[in-house]
Amino acid sequence: MELASLGNPVDSALVALLVPLGAALCIAILSPLRRRGKLAGWLSVLAALVALAASSLLLFRWQGGLGPELFELRWLPRAGGTLARVGVRVDGISVVMLTVVTLVATCVQVFSLGYMSGEPGPALGRYFAYHSLFIFSMSLLVLAPNLLVFLIGWELVGLTSYLLIGFYYQKPSAARAAVKAFWTTKFADMGLFAAVVLLFAWTGDFSWEVPLSPQQASLITLLLFLAVMGKSAQFPLHVWLPDAMEGPTPVSALLHAATMVAAGVYLIVRTGPLFSQAPDTLTLMAYLGSFTALFAAVIAVVQTDIKRVLAYSTCSQLGYMVAGLGAGSVMSGFFHLTTHAAFKALLFLAAGSVIHAVGSNELGDMGGLARRMRLTTTVFVIGALALAGVPLFAGFFSKDFILETVFNQKLWLPLGALLLSGFLTAFYMGRVIALAFFGTPSSKAEHAHESGPTMALPLIALAFLSVAVGWLGPRMAEMIQADYAFHLTPVGAAATLLALGGLFFAWLVYARRAVPSSVLAWFAPIGEVARSGALDRLYGFAFRRVVLGVAALAGWFDRYIVDGLMNFIAWLAIVTGQRLRRIQTGNVLDYVYAVVAGAALLIAWGMVR
Amino acid sequence: MIPLSHYLLLSTALFCIGVYGVLSHRNAVGILISVELMANAVNINLVSFSRYQGSYLGQVFAVFVIALTVAEVIVGLALVILLYRSRKDVLVDAASDLKH
Repeated sequence: MELASLGNPVDSALVALLVPLGAALCIAILSPLRRRGKLAGWLSVLAALVALAASSLLLFRWQGGLGPELFELRWLPRAGGTLARVGVRVDGISVVMLTVVTLVATCVQVFSLGYMSGEPGPALGRYFAYHSLFIFSMSLLVLAPNLLVFLIGWELVGLTSYLLIGFYYQKPSAARAAVKAFWTTKFADMGLFAAVVLLFAWTGDFSWEVPLSPQQASLITLLLFLAVMGKSAQFPLHVWLPDAMEGPTPVSALLHAATMVAAGVYLIVRTGPLFSQAPDTLTLMAYLGSFTALFAAVIAVVQTDIKRVLAYSTCSQLGYMVAGLGAGSVMSGFFHLTTHAAFKALLFLAAGSVIHAVGSNELGDMGGLARRMRLTTTVFVIGALALAGVPLFAGFFSKDFILETVFNQKLWLPLGALLLSGFLTAFYMGRVIALAFFGTPSSKAEHAHESGPTMALPLIALAFLSVAVGWLGPRMAEMIQADYAFHLTPVGAAATLLALGGLFFAWLVYARRAVPSSVLAWFAPIGEVARSGALDRLYGFAFRRVVLGVAALAGWFDRYIVDGLMNFIAWLAIVTGQRLRRIQTGNVLDYVYAVVAGAALLIAWGMVR
Repeated sequence: MIPLSHYLLLSTALFCIGVYGVLSHRNAVGILISVELMANAVNINLVSFSRYQGSYLGQVFAVFVIALTVAEVIVGLALVILLYRSRKDVLVDAASDLKH
């Protein structure tokens, strides 16, 4: 069968969008299916595979230079047309992102079949229903033809994130982490909402391809960037992401590493026409992104929980993407998004495989796993090399392009921060490898053994991608119609040297134990600061004093002023009724008096007239 | 011939006596008799107008009124009897039980 005969792009996109929704609804509604968790899992995986097939079809068939294919339905009628349109928009950007999402989601779901097999049936059913719902929400966001649909997908993604972080809802820390993630991102989402409303007020439409005055563009992009800071965990709103690691590890891989947190970056890519009108916002993004990259990398060095290391690393890499976008190159940020999705999902799943075998997240409980878990070790090292930016691996190309862009824009301070965080990235990944896979095994790690085929298969696939995606840069640039070419520049060489240096230092410090502890003690204050959670306390204070204060005030106003007015009106009606009731005495003579008086009045009226 | 105004004055006086009777009596029978006075005042009006107009229509109407008042008295007296049975009196101002 020829590919061209398999329907038009819009059909494929709709299949990728709606099949996971169907699976989610089936699992959610059909109770017997949900209770038999395994079956629900296979249904969910099947839906994800269909979505993956549809999006790969799109990816292979999509040629650069094709205009966007739109499929839109009218929604919310109003005088003289329709207020909004819903539907899908298939173009280079959405096709690439859709493939990333469905690919990672499929890998993660297959992995989940093995990883979550110990869960009871109903919980497993719930888990896969959320997963399918997530794929739908994310596809909705990715394929959105305008900002209104984007907002709907964005909020749905936030909801599924909340549900999945709080999957172990009986655990207080997980429930708290879910709520924290929810209200942190919700706070930021106000930015997106305000931007959508303002855009509609100014242009009468929800499209992002509109010319705006410089002030309007600045305001809207700043509001959008606020939303990005929440969803993509940029400083100072990154606090929810490390806590989100309370969710099951595959969830961390899918949502909090590869796809959902990248939604913020995707928002910038998607609304590129708006951002390109606001150079000030772009500069801010470059600085804030590079600061986040450095800040999170520093904290990642002192974490002892393998998932938290990866979480901070995600923050850091998202900072890279935002910085690259801030330097004005959509391709750089988007390219890093795709490579990062592959290797970070791989790292998380490999970490999940380790956690599954060891039964603990702590690096101290691992060690010497290389001999017992050969496959996991191999893929983790591949992922780590890709993340560190070692040449030939995926991360190298995308990071290099970001650095080159930032260098060309002469943003020296962000460049320095990014280079330094590149060094730290290599260092902390080297540290994790040294502590988890080499050295002497702890008591828990001694009985670790390799995981089953459902967990191994996604690892192998993602490991392959972690190398391959890096070479697809030119093809991707063609699809989204951007300029990209790989050059060997001094900056790239410096970054490579720093990455190799970071790995070497990690080897010296953690594998060879060659650095005396007195030297390491100099760095102890960093750990102190990182663990103190100063930002958490600040937000806690702001929440308790400011938000709850305003809430109390509003509550008082509602209770005594608004309700008071209502109660007064009701009281007035009651009292009037009670007074009027007296007219009906029940005494016949009173009625007769009334009749006579009425007749007399009528006669008098007739005489006067 | 006696002028019309005499008849009208008589009927007005009779009607006012009837109204006074209705208002001043507590006894249901007294009220019924007073209502009867009022009806007959109306009848005098009807008959005298009919006489002075030379048409019999008013007199026919008066016969109707008589028939109606008979029916009314029957219903009224039936009520009075029921009232007497249940309360052992026929004082209308005391019979305000339905108010509660």
